[in-house]
Amino acid sequence: MPAAVYWRVMFLQGRCLKPRYVMSSAKSPSSQSSPLPIPLAEVGQYSCGLTLVFVLASTCWVLLPYTGDLFAALVFLMAIVVVGTWWNRGPVLMMAVVSALVWNYFFIPPQYTLHIEKPQDVVMFSLFFIVALSMGHLITRLRAREATLAQHHQEREHLLAEKHRAELLAESERLHRTLLDSVSHELKTPIAIIRTALDGLGQGNPYAIEINTATRRLQRIVESFLEMTRAESEALEPQPDWCEIGDVLHTATAPIQQELAAHKLQITGTENMPLLRLDSRLLAQVLGNLLHNATRYAPAGTAIEIHATLANGTLELRVRDHGPGLPLGSEDHLFEKFYRAPDSPAGGTGLGLAIARGLMLAMKGDIEAHTHPEGGAEFVLHLPVKTRSAA
Amino acid sequence: MSKALIIDDEQQMRRLLRMVLESRGYEVCEAADGQLGLQDAAFHRPDVVLLDLGLPGMNGIEVLKRLREWSDVPVLILSVRDQETIKVEALENGADDYVTKPFGTAELLARLTVIQRRRFTRQSAEIVVGPLKLDLLHHGASLNGAPLKLTPTEFALLKVLAEYSGRIVTQNQIMKLVWAGQTSDPSEGLRVHINHLRKKLGETGPRIVNEPGIGYRLEEV
Repeated sequence: MPAAVYWRVMFLQGRCLKPRYVMSSAKSPSSQSSPLPIPLAEVGQYSCGLTLVFVLASTCWVLLPYTGDLFAALVFLMAIVVVGTWWNRGPVLMMAVVSALVWNYFFIPPQYTLHIEKPQDVVMFSLFFIVALSMGHLITRLRAREATLAQHHQEREHLLAEKHRAELLAESERLHRTLLDSVSHELKTPIAIIRTALDGLGQGNPYAIEINTATRRLQRIVESFLEMTRAESEALEPQPDWCEIGDVLHTATAPIQQELAAHKLQITGTENMPLLRLDSRLLAQVLGNLLHNATRYAPAGTAIEIHATLANGTLELRVRDHGPGLPLGSEDHLFEKFYRAPDSPAGGTGLGLAIARGLMLAMKGDIEAHTHPEGGAEFVLHLPVKTRSAA
Repeated sequence: MSKALIIDDEQQMRRLLRMVLESRGYEVCEAADGQLGLQDAAFHRPDVVLLDLGLPGMNGIEVLKRLREWSDVPVLILSVRDQETIKVEALENGADDYVTKPFGTAELLARLTVIQRRRFTRQSAEIVVGPLKLDLLHHGASLNGAPLKLTPTEFALLKVLAEYSGRIVTQNQIMKLVWAGQTSDPSEGLRVHINHLRKKLGETGPRIVNEPGIGYRLEEV
């Protein structure tokens, strides 16, 4: 292999060595755990540097009769400048030192000794040494600064992008909330007006009773849509506070007294339950949705049972009705938005259970459903809670 | 005859409220925004104010704050649901109670009656809520004529709830009135005392109803 080609190959390898070694050092834990005095990536550069000095020295030595010893010094300097643009500081400085010594030994007369006779050669050697060292030093410092600048720039870009993203998110959240508030206001105001007007009309008129029923249904749908939107938005943050399970149940049942009137609500397991830390409004909403569902599916006169247990910091609530149970194969879709089981009674939105699940997930809990072995649908809520004795 | 001032930007809502209130013998005046509402409150000196929170321009809370600078007229807040924080803010800025839109007329009228009534009970040495009697002079309580044993904290708590009987009292208001805000975990201690009180009041006494995120209301059975 001709010297020039060999030199080029080694030189190019030296350039690729760095990333290759970095990769392998990142993979092997042993090289990370035992700190080497020389970083692994630089070992290749050191060996390449030595080879390069060797190759250049041989070439110049061959050419010495035609060029003189100064030519070799310039070639070495050039090599240091060139590798300085790629390599780390250590190998470059090493090359400066080694090439100075090689130049002295092989080229400055008297040859094959480190001894220098002529005073101008001593000056020349010292100048070479100083120039080579400062070259190597300056170039690597320049590169280090460039790298820091690039890194700063990148960090700044990253920070700016982050900030921009956060601002966009906050803005969209704010818009979302404003929209929700105004839609909520626009939908609820007419319903409020109809209800107040109906109250004024009195409940004696059978037509008024029909309008009243429809209005309550409409109100429920509107509230479901708004609640669904809220459950899906990032804005829903549970606000846990100490509360009594009895209060939660009261909050859940109070708005649907009318619907519950036809069923027997049986609550067990709540006596002597300690204080629980949870968002009682959200949990009440979940229970309300489940109870309302039960009143729609289970025949009038049947019992709706709520059983509460507390074990290992988890509150479990089972809501069971004595209706037809869940249709086969519907368990997986039950909690999907707008899903309505086949043969469901008219007038549901398919949102109640989706909301229930959204709210349970927001509270870091979960919800599941199955048909009870003895018949009827059973929904099971799990919620991690802190507890405190209420006595 | 009681004079009521309605501050609401929805004309139809104002008209209906006027009909409902006039049918119950109220004299009614109405304002479409907060600025006009404040002027009317100063000019007509109403006995009760119905204030919508979602007003254009000056919002309901701001109207309430300005009103409270010079007047202690009972104020009933009308608001759309799911705004616990804004309800609490209104109550702590001097509102007496709230109803959520859409509301039933019966509920609205009951709240109006209650917030107008509170003025009288405050001055007497005895508070009566159905079968419950509180003797403020001797710190004694009785239920259905039988003496009720209460700890000093329970008495103070029950006194606050009974004084505002039928009306919502926020958690912070209770903390200030009963403990002067001096407990580390307010809600926890409060829950425990409420629990004890409920047991002592039993089935026959007035009920202590919790409104999540807001506070408590003492209701006659």
